[in-house]
Amino acid sequence: MPPAAIWMDGLIQSCIYMTMAFGMVLVFSILGILNWAHGQFYMFGGIVVYYAVAAAGIPFPISLLISAVAVGVLGMLVEKLIIERVNVPIYGPLYVGVATISLIFFFEGAASMLFGMQDKGLSMVYPGVLDLGVFSVSYQKIGVVIFTVIVMVAMYIVLNLTKIGLAIRAVSQEPVAANLYGISVKRISVIVMGIGCAMAAMAGSIMAPIYPVNPFMGRIPMIMSLLAIVIGGIGSLTGAIVGGLILGFLNSVIAYKISYFSEVVLFILVILILLVRPQGLFGASLK
Amino acid sequence: MMIKYIDWKVTIPRIVAAVPIAILVFIPVFSTSRDTLSIIILSGVWVIAAMGFAMILRTGQFSMGQAAFMAIGGYASAILTVKMGWSFWPSFFMAGVISGIIALIIGSVVLRVGNIYFSIITLSFGEIVRILAQNLEGITHGARGLIPPSPEPIVLGSFEINFDASVVPYYYFMILLVAITSLVFWQINRSRLGGTFFSLAANQILAEHQGIYLMKYRVIAFTVAGIFTGFAGAFYAHFLEIITPYMLGLWESIQIMIMSIVGGVSSLVAGPLVGAVLLKVLSVYLSRLPVYGIHALLFGGAVVLVLVFLPKGTGLIDLWKKFWRKVFNEPEWYEIPSIDE
Repeated sequence: MPPAAIWMDGLIQSCIYMTMAFGMVLVFSILGILNWAHGQFYMFGGIVVYYAVAAAGIPFPISLLISAVAVGVLGMLVEKLIIERVNVPIYGPLYVGVATISLIFFFEGAASMLFGMQDKGLSMVYPGVLDLGVFSVSYQKIGVVIFTVIVMVAMYIVLNLTKIGLAIRAVSQEPVAANLYGISVKRISVIVMGIGCAMAAMAGSIMAPIYPVNPFMGRIPMIMSLLAIVIGGIGSLTGAIVGGLILGFLNSVIAYKISYFSEVVLFILVILILLVRPQGLFGASLK
Repeated sequence: MMIKYIDWKVTIPRIVAAVPIAILVFIPVFSTSRDTLSIIILSGVWVIAAMGFAMILRTGQFSMGQAAFMAIGGYASAILTVKMGWSFWPSFFMAGVISGIIALIIGSVVLRVGNIYFSIITLSFGEIVRILAQNLEGITHGARGLIPPSPEPIVLGSFEINFDASVVPYYYFMILLVAITSLVFWQINRSRLGGTFFSLAANQILAEHQGIYLMKYRVIAFTVAGIFTGFAGAFYAHFLEIITPYMLGLWESIQIMIMSIVGGVSSLVAGPLVGAVLLKVLSVYLSRLPVYGIHALLFGGAVVLVLVFLPKGTGLIDLWKKFWRKVFNEPEWYEIPSIDE
């Protein structure tokens, strides 16, 4: 049985993957494309929070919101200026894929020019350790878990109880019919892209005090959250949460047992799931 | 005797296109600088890989693990020469064969699922290859990598082609390799097989109802691409004289994909060729800029601009056709209206 700290680490990782995967699934279900630059929005979230806290001295909770809004607006711009123009009928997903992959290079280059190459870290915002006798856990990590739960609940409320959530669900089910009922699909796409990128930014900024911030921090969470939504089922929000949990624990708890081989297990698991059940654990088949 | 009618509208663009190719062939006559030739040789490697990607895309699938087949080819050739003591030429040949066989096996299992699922499966496959290469110390020397030797000299009477002395032999070897690959892919594209590939992408359901067995043709495309990508990988390893797990990973697969899309996939040979050469040369010269990070910034920005401002679904190569249509004052092609909206 791995020590409790390993389980805790798995939970923390699950939290990032869940939040990021949730945003990706949201974008996928409306726009029908994968946003490959999602990890770079995560990276921008971390960088904005770093500057807001370390340079400007804004309190951490407020700078979380600032980074979410700033990166959300960036995501909206990307949707409006690039994705909307590139998303053509037949090869659309491929062209959007290539465009967003190129954005990875663009954003990483921009970040390493502005921010610099070296790792920078915030000091713990909530210092102190909760001692539970058997093991201890820092308040910062508890904060990550609580924050993720709050974000999930907030997203549930937005999607299920508000008018804009109703519109989003309608567009994801029947774009044409939703359009006929007076919902602007283009506007919903922009809003959803903003929400998705803001979620990635929040994942990045909540992690900034725990992991170091650098321009390349987005690559691994991106791949992992991609695999998470594949395991859970592309287009399923429940699947994103379950997939994130599976991956987080697989990366820490299983890795504790079998070292590097856990990555092989992970990818073989993904291949097997896709071969047996391409729509993932919770997803419906693609249109 | 019948006088053959010369269609200038076909011939003139071909002659103009032949000029840069002829210049490329005769470059070593003017300059034998290792620097210039290396850039062209390395872009040749990516040309072959990008053509392989375009071939798979012809059947409607996009593979994100093409660099894995380069790695398999490179490692196969390196292991055969370093560990087994084979000489270069048979192991180079075996690299393509092994890569092709692996593509056949993988393809016949995973090609059943299409679209984005196939992309993610190939992505995972590429990562598995990288992790295995990194961790199977006994076979691949782990992260330190293998150091394959350069090819043995070829003796032609009194004349000897020595691969150690300069890069010119490598240059002509590369040109030959690209020429053979182009010829094969061009012929496939012209033949009934190429038409079948295209029908799979254009309308899968109709193609199936015409009696085309989907899996068979997808696997054929994947295997052909695997064979040539394996050759490219083996050449890459022997030219650089090193192969490590980090050289051919996910980011290289992504670069292959970007190259062939930017070049244009409407033609199987010319598009990837133009895209790979232009982007490789661009990225080499950009990486010499003094500011760190500006390389990635400009590269990504250039690709995004190309994608946004070109007509949708076309690449750079389609500009060429469009240019000649303008020159000869031909009517624009009728475009099929899309079903959506």
